[in-house]
Amino acid sequence: MRILLIEDDAVLGAAVRDQIAGDGQSVDWVQRLDAAQDAMAVTSYDIVLLDLMLPDGRGITFLKALRTRGDVTPVIILTALDQLSDRIEGLNAGADDYLVKPFDLAELSARIGSVARRYTGNPNPIVTHGILDIDLAARSIRQSGKPVALTAREWALFEAFLARPGQLLSKTQLEDKLYAFGAEIDSNTIEVHVSRIRKKLGAAIIETERGMGYRLGTP
Amino acid sequence: MRMPRSLRGRLGLSLGMILSVLWVAAASWTAVSLRHEMDEVFDSTLQETAQRLLPLAVLDIVGREDEGLTQRLGAIRDHAEFFTYIVRDAQDRILLQSHAADPAVFPVYDGAGFRQTATHRLYNEDALRGSIRLTVAEPLAQRAQVAREIQMRLGLPLLIVIPLALVAIVLAVEASVGPVRRFRDRLEARTARDLTPIPAHDIPSEIEPIATTLNGLLNRLKGAFDAERSFAANAAHELRTPLAGAIAQAQRLQSETKDTAARARAADIEATLKRLTRVSERFMQLARAEGGRLRLDQASDLRTVARIVIEDIERTVAPDRILLSLPDEPLMSDLDPDAFGILCRNLVENALRHGSETGPVAVNLAADGVLSVSNDGPVVGPQMLDRLTARFERAGSDTNGSGIGLAIVAAIAERIGSRLVLISPRPGQKTGFEASLKLPNSSRGH
Repeated sequence: MRILLIEDDAVLGAAVRDQIAGDGQSVDWVQRLDAAQDAMAVTSYDIVLLDLMLPDGRGITFLKALRTRGDVTPVIILTALDQLSDRIEGLNAGADDYLVKPFDLAELSARIGSVARRYTGNPNPIVTHGILDIDLAARSIRQSGKPVALTAREWALFEAFLARPGQLLSKTQLEDKLYAFGAEIDSNTIEVHVSRIRKKLGAAIIETERGMGYRLGTP
Repeated sequence: MRMPRSLRGRLGLSLGMILSVLWVAAASWTAVSLRHEMDEVFDSTLQETAQRLLPLAVLDIVGREDEGLTQRLGAIRDHAEFFTYIVRDAQDRILLQSHAADPAVFPVYDGAGFRQTATHRLYNEDALRGSIRLTVAEPLAQRAQVAREIQMRLGLPLLIVIPLALVAIVLAVEASVGPVRRFRDRLEARTARDLTPIPAHDIPSEIEPIATTLNGLLNRLKGAFDAERSFAANAAHELRTPLAGAIAQAQRLQSETKDTAARARAADIEATLKRLTRVSERFMQLARAEGGRLRLDQASDLRTVARIVIEDIERTVAPDRILLSLPDEPLMSDLDPDAFGILCRNLVENALRHGSETGPVAVNLAADGVLSVSNDGPVVGPQMLDRLTARFERAGSDTNGSGIGLAIVAAIAERIGSRLVLISPRPGQKTGFEASLKLPNSSRGH
């Protein structure tokens, strides 16, 4: 998943960015609304994390403009405990969820996961795929009842396939999901991760369309 | 005499008194001067009569043969005599008298001119070196009656006109101070939250500066409140963001380090920061409860706020710990949603913390605006209940809060004109605790 973090505080922003990256997702972090505007113009994000008080304006205004444009990217607002009016305004303006500052990073990861699942149309975190039982919330996979461990990157890549079963995903699309702007990506990184997932879950789990991309297969 | 404090009373009383006194004085002066004029006319008639009679009497008496004889003139036609007269000689013998003249009313002759007795006004005139003396008498009763009639005609209308005038004054004063009274009523009728200017277009010019000043003051107050609200929000943001950053960093440290000791230290830092966060949240809430503006110009649905607050808390507790019940219809209130959130959160957190560890907390928001939060748990004694609202008072010792939750709720309740009611055991049961308060409700007839 590719996530846009809009948060002006350097310390908090860095911690949140590292947490999301640690989960294997790619994250772009901006500290101002105008930068967020630019980022959204060139990249399609799976989730936006939006602080409500930013140096160049209110997050609510940004959110309203986003929804007015018809953009349905899921938005999680970061808000203070007692600013209920802001939170209600945010939810009314089209926010999908909220996190109350200060929040636990584990809670943040869980919220991101739950919003993403809701967005893909299946809010149930337990998915069965062939002989695989997958718990999206707990990030655990059982193959015929035996647990299989994936690294954060592998998980993020596998999740991208699970979110779009049957759909062909290009290498660039997959790179976008996994890496932030300006990250150094080796030309064969995706291939490396795909082959590791195949090793763990069986070769049929990911099908290759030569020269086009990959899609989810049945193990 | 002390004047009444009301403007109406003062105006009515002083105008009424001044008008009455002036009117009575004017009427009295008129009566006195009329009486004086009347006396002059009467006197002139008396004098004229005497002077017309005297030559006739002289002719009559000089032509007589017998001296000292009294002649009583008979009436030509029967009539009541108004003026009576007698003619006397130097020896005071009566020579001539009108037919109704009573000699007793005529005092001894003592020279020409006006005289007055207790009953009559008299005029003396003599001729032939004082040998023929004429005295004409006019009864004073007549003059007195005329004077009375004049007084009556001057006085009677006053008896009717003065009360009418007083009523007219009261009505006129009432009408004049009407705008002032309406201004006062509008001021009285407004609630604590209403800081909009009071319409004062029809106010009298004398009071207009007061209205203008008051409206200016309200305007500044509104500005100050708004500034305070946004300052509080900014200050809270400034305080929370670094705390959130530090906590997040401490959590990252715990997940990134392989060193057990460092992880434990990071966990300690995180716990301390979280405690600091809780305490500072409470102080911000208390500042808000005691100083901030709690009621807004527009109403919002409290059910939405209650849902969010409960959802917030539910994220941190076991499922089904909180039973929320809300009315079917929107519960509109001008209570600041943030303030309601503070109320609700504190009551629920208090119930979770001090009540039974497993029993559910029932949060009930009724259609009439009564919020009640009840929980199972040991009975809290009446003395403790009284002291509970005092700041920093805690119901138990093993608590995790700074103990000002109920004090915050009580402060907000007091400032919105309500009261936090604490009951233990909860109504209809042998155990437990219930806290409730009535919220401002603009949905129905409030």
